[in-house]
Amino acid sequence: MTELLAIIIFLAVLFFLLGTGVWVGVALMGVAWVGMELFTSRPVGDTMITTIWASSSSWTITALPLFIWMGEILYRTRLSEDMFRGLSPWLARLPGGLVHTNIVGCTVFAAVSGSSAATLTTVGKMSIPELRARKYPEHIVIGTLAGAATLGLMIPPSLALIVYGVAVNQSITELFFAGVFPGLVLALMFMGYVAAYSFISKGWQPTMETAMGFAEKVRNSRFLIPVMVLIFVVIGSMYTGTATATEAAAIGVIGSLVLAASQGSLNWDSFRESLMGATRTSAMIMLILAGAAFLKLSMGFTGLPRALADGIAAMELSRFELLMMLLVFYIILGMFLDGISSVVLTMAVVEPMVLEAGIDLIWFGIFVIVVVEMAQITPPIGFNLFVLQGMTGHEMSYIAKAALPMFAIMVLMCFVLIWFPELALWLPESMRSVPQ
Amino acid sequence: MTGTLGVLRRLLDGLYKGSGVLAALCLVTILLLIVAQMVARWTGELFPGAPNYAGYVMAAASFLAFASALNGGAHIRVSILLNAVPVRIKWLLEIWCFGVATAISAYFVYYAYWFVYWSWKFNEVSQAQDATPLWIPQSVMVVGGAILTIAFLDNLISVLFKGESRLGSNIVDQSFGE
Repeated sequence: MTELLAIIIFLAVLFFLLGTGVWVGVALMGVAWVGMELFTSRPVGDTMITTIWASSSSWTITALPLFIWMGEILYRTRLSEDMFRGLSPWLARLPGGLVHTNIVGCTVFAAVSGSSAATLTTVGKMSIPELRARKYPEHIVIGTLAGAATLGLMIPPSLALIVYGVAVNQSITELFFAGVFPGLVLALMFMGYVAAYSFISKGWQPTMETAMGFAEKVRNSRFLIPVMVLIFVVIGSMYTGTATATEAAAIGVIGSLVLAASQGSLNWDSFRESLMGATRTSAMIMLILAGAAFLKLSMGFTGLPRALADGIAAMELSRFELLMMLLVFYIILGMFLDGISSVVLTMAVVEPMVLEAGIDLIWFGIFVIVVVEMAQITPPIGFNLFVLQGMTGHEMSYIAKAALPMFAIMVLMCFVLIWFPELALWLPESMRSVPQ
Repeated sequence: MTGTLGVLRRLLDGLYKGSGVLAALCLVTILLLIVAQMVARWTGELFPGAPNYAGYVMAAASFLAFASALNGGAHIRVSILLNAVPVRIKWLLEIWCFGVATAISAYFVYYAYWFVYWSWKFNEVSQAQDATPLWIPQSVMVVGGAILTIAFLDNLISVLFKGESRLGSNIVDQSFGE
């Protein structure tokens, strides 16, 4: 009975604080405080400080600001122009034409950026005006961009996976590699959709590109070589075990600075802006993490996560039913909360449930990321929608509708992951067998 | 009176900005520490305690940047209700938000202060290789937390007397975290 009361109080306080607009990190601290005051006799203030100190001064989390910084540096380079120029000659002849530059561009940029919105901004800066000029249907241009940009969260590096890894104490490197194949499969599914749409739609009459010889194509894509080298070095150093995730992030920052300098886009202003932007963004996430660490502890003291896990176990759901329940739960949560907040907010409760059901935490990380990706494009709150609104001037409802097919594809991706768990698990396992 | 207030305003803005710059320098320090550790390992040397130092500097980078991130509009909040209600209600909601936030962060600073005080009093030292006296890195929690509390209070006063807070909204900073 106390558990039921605890659940009701936690939820009521949480909804109230979040709903009235209290900053997420602060709201989590508030909920945790209420929970501990009501249900335990421990010294709340001291416990709060110890927990928050431990979570903010951890070495694992240092990968987070560095990967954010790396993305900020690359965002300020000429990369988005180079990407379009380098990719378009190869993709122009595919059914669906240059819309594929959106998807492949996002996939490539996702491999150097941990953020979905940063991926969207960088790729869209160039591809939106170029695709519009060639008369591709607007809703396809917008929709594919909104959808494909979410690969930024899935393909390593990924900020959301770092946060998840810290929350459930799993290896960040393994999580990163678990995301590679699902990310690529998802990209292929997006591309398949575009190709199919271009066959079916009657309004599909974009301006065709002039044919280009092979040599010219190669010449155009030489601009992609630096970013490919960067991807190779960052991801390669983690795969071979030469570097930890944090070290790979440091290599990535230096590599991006070199890349920016070689393009002539590195100056004091762009350096300062990238650094200050990264500092603010990482502080934003760290405040949420501090609140979440305290909330996790507070809920643990009340015995709530354990009780819920037992309750779910008593319902004797099959693994599939549990995952479906979580899928629906996260989609609804994702409408109102951003991805990282929903991951850290729920993990204290969801982790024991998932373990109880015998689900691998690395695999579940990827599953959660796909679901959280959807949160980026579901109204009323979804960062990719906000960013696209700023970039294109369209109504939010228009963008959300344009992104709906991509949402459906991501739901399908969840089922693909359930049917073929090896997709996520094979690479981290093969990595473990690499002699270190 | 305007003179004193003007000076105070400049002092506060300088405080937020200064702590933000310090936080940025901490980020650069993290990078340097990690690079140094890698180079040391590749050349067969040892840099004992590097991960711990990086962790301390990480905490400093976060706590010192909280206030400037707040003023820059980088902290995430759910603003559906805030944007939907009439101005008068929004004003009350803002007072509530800044009030609660001021209270929670002041509470945090109070306990952080005593936490660091005892850590200093008992001369607590890191158990890892770095053997740092812990009160040194921990005191940044008090300093950063205090600056954040001041920033919340500053905005609360601004909402009360001027009708609106001094926060910008920065969707880029918010979204680049996801």
